[in-house]
Amino acid sequence: MSAASACAALFLRDLRGVVRARSQLYSSVFTPLLFLVFLGNGVSEGLAPSKLPAGSFTAYLVAGSVVMTSVFSSTFSSASFYRDRDSGVLRMVLSSPHSGRVILIGKSLAGVAIGTIQAAAVLLIAAPFVEFEWQYGLAAGLAAALLTVVLLNVLLAGLAQALASRIQTMQGFHLVMNLALFPLLFFSGAFFPVDELPAWLQAMAYANPLTYAVDALELAAYGANGDAFIGLGIDFGVLGTLAAAVYALGLARTPRLTWSGQ
Amino acid sequence: MESAAISAVAIGRRYGERRALDGFTLEVPHGAVFGLLGPNGSGKSTFVGLIAAMEAPDSGTLRVFGEPPVPALRARVGTVFQENASDPLMTVNDTLWLAGRLFGVPRATARERSSSLLGVFGLADRAEDAVSTLSGGMRRRLEMARALFHDPALLLLDEPTTGVDPHERRALWSALLDTRGAGRTILLATNDLAEADAVCDRVAFIQSGQVKATGTPAELKRGLKREAIRVVVQGLTTGQLARVEQAAGDGRVVAQDEVLHITVDDAAAFVPRLFAIAPGAIRSVSIEQSSLEDAYFRHVGRQQAIGAGSPS
Repeated sequence: MSAASACAALFLRDLRGVVRARSQLYSSVFTPLLFLVFLGNGVSEGLAPSKLPAGSFTAYLVAGSVVMTSVFSSTFSSASFYRDRDSGVLRMVLSSPHSGRVILIGKSLAGVAIGTIQAAAVLLIAAPFVEFEWQYGLAAGLAAALLTVVLLNVLLAGLAQALASRIQTMQGFHLVMNLALFPLLFFSGAFFPVDELPAWLQAMAYANPLTYAVDALELAAYGANGDAFIGLGIDFGVLGTLAAAVYALGLARTPRLTWSGQ
Repeated sequence: MESAAISAVAIGRRYGERRALDGFTLEVPHGAVFGLLGPNGSGKSTFVGLIAAMEAPDSGTLRVFGEPPVPALRARVGTVFQENASDPLMTVNDTLWLAGRLFGVPRATARERSSSLLGVFGLADRAEDAVSTLSGGMRRRLEMARALFHDPALLLLDEPTTGVDPHERRALWSALLDTRGAGRTILLATNDLAEADAVCDRVAFIQSGQVKATGTPAELKRGLKREAIRVVVQGLTTGQLARVEQAAGDGRVVAQDEVLHITVDDAAAFVPRLFAIAPGAIRSVSIEQSSLEDAYFRHVGRQQAIGAGSPS
C-alpha cells in the first residue's frame, strides 16, 4: 500500500477521465492552434513585423501557443478537484490510509502528463507549417523543448492543484486562475517580444515564470540571433526551482474534509 | 486481542461554539453490529469521522483496535458515507480498481474479490457500466462493495440505506451480512430505528453529543417495562377519562379524538380496570409490544425525535 502506488492510481484515474471526456483534450489543443492560424497569419500579413526572431508572427506565436496550451490544460485538469469533491470521490480517497498530499501529487502529476501531451501536440501540429531552425539540432532541440514543456506543466499543474485545494468554489478558482495567468501570459513574450518594452514592463516580464518557458522554447526551436534571449541554463533553472518550490510549499497544506464533506 | 474494537472515553469535539460531542463515552465490542441512534445533529457522524481519523477529538481518549485513530489505521477500516462517493463517470470495475489500489489490495486478490463482491451485491452484469447509469439502490450496493473491497476489520456505515426502497434495503443488508467475516465489526449510524432493531447486536442512543443509553435492543426494550394500549372509545365522559388517568398512575394517557393511547407497565392487568371504569364506552382494545422506538423516545425524549434536530 505504498504512496507511489496510490499516486499512480490517482494519476491513471484522472488520465482516463480526460481521455473519456474528450472535450478537454480537443479544446486545450485547438484553441491555441486557432490562435496561431488566425492571429499569426493576420498579424504577419497585415503588419509584417520585421523584428521578430522567428521571421514570421505565425512562427513566433508557436512558443506562446505551447505555453498557452499548458496554462489552459493545468486549469482544466485541476478543476477536476471540484468534481471529485462534489461527487464525494475526494472523501472516499481521503478515507484511504494516504495523506492528502499524496492525493494532490497524484492528481497534479496527471495534470502534468495531460498538459505535456497537449502542449507537445501543438508543437508537433504546428511544425509542418512553420520553419523551425533547431539551432542545437533536431534531437537536442526537441529534447530541450520537451524538458521546457514538462517543467512548465509541473509548475502550472502544481500551482493550479494547490489553488484548487484552497479555493472553496470552482467559480472562484477560475477567476483566480484567469486573473493570475492571463496577465502572466501577456507579459511572457508569448504574443510580442519583451526586449523592446518599456523598462517597467520588462521588469514585470523577467519576474514572470512564463517568460522563461517562452524563451526556452524559442531557443530550442529557432536560433539565438541577438542578445534578446535569456539562455537555456537560466530558463531551466528558474522553471525547475519554481516547480520544486510549488510542490514543496504549495502542496504542503493538504485538503481537509470532515466526515460530512464540509 | 484488545477487548473492544472501539473505546471512547469522555470525548469532546467542538465546531466553533457548538459542542458536537461532549463527554461521549462508548465501547463497541469486537465483531458486533453496533447501532448509533440519534436525531440529526446529535453527534453520530462526528463520532464516526473521529474513528475514521478524518478529524481529531479536542479532548478525551479514543482507541480503535487499541490504537489512537491515525491515517494508517484506515487500512483496516471501510467506510460508506451518507452520500455516494463514487465517480459517476467511472465504471463499476474501475471504482473497485481504484479502491483496491488505494488500499493496497494485490492485483490477483483484487480480481478475485471484485468478481466475488459484484456477485454478492448483484452487480456482476453491470461491471463495465458507468456508475452514472446505475439506479440509486445499485449505487448504494456499489458503495458497500467498495467499502468491503480491502476486507476491513471495521466497517463504518453512515445512513447507508438512505433513499433506498424496502426491497433494495433488505437485499443490501442480506448481502452485507453475508460478507461479514469472523471478527468484522460494523458501526451503523442511522436514524432508522426499525433497521437498527433488525440488524444490530447492540445500540447506543445519542443525544446532544452524549450517549444516553446503550445495550442490546432487547435489553433496552425490556428496560422500558412498558406496553402500549390503543383503545377506541365512544361517549367517554371527562370524569371517566380522569379515572383512567388516575388508574394509569405513572403511566401515560394521551386522548386523541376517539382514541386513547395508554402506556403502562402491565397492559394485561390494566385492561380489565378500563372496562370497570367505562364499561359502555369502549369499542375496541389492542395491546402492542414495545419497540426500539419506544425505548428511544424514553431515553432521548419525544421532543428530540429523529428528524427534529438540525443537520449534523
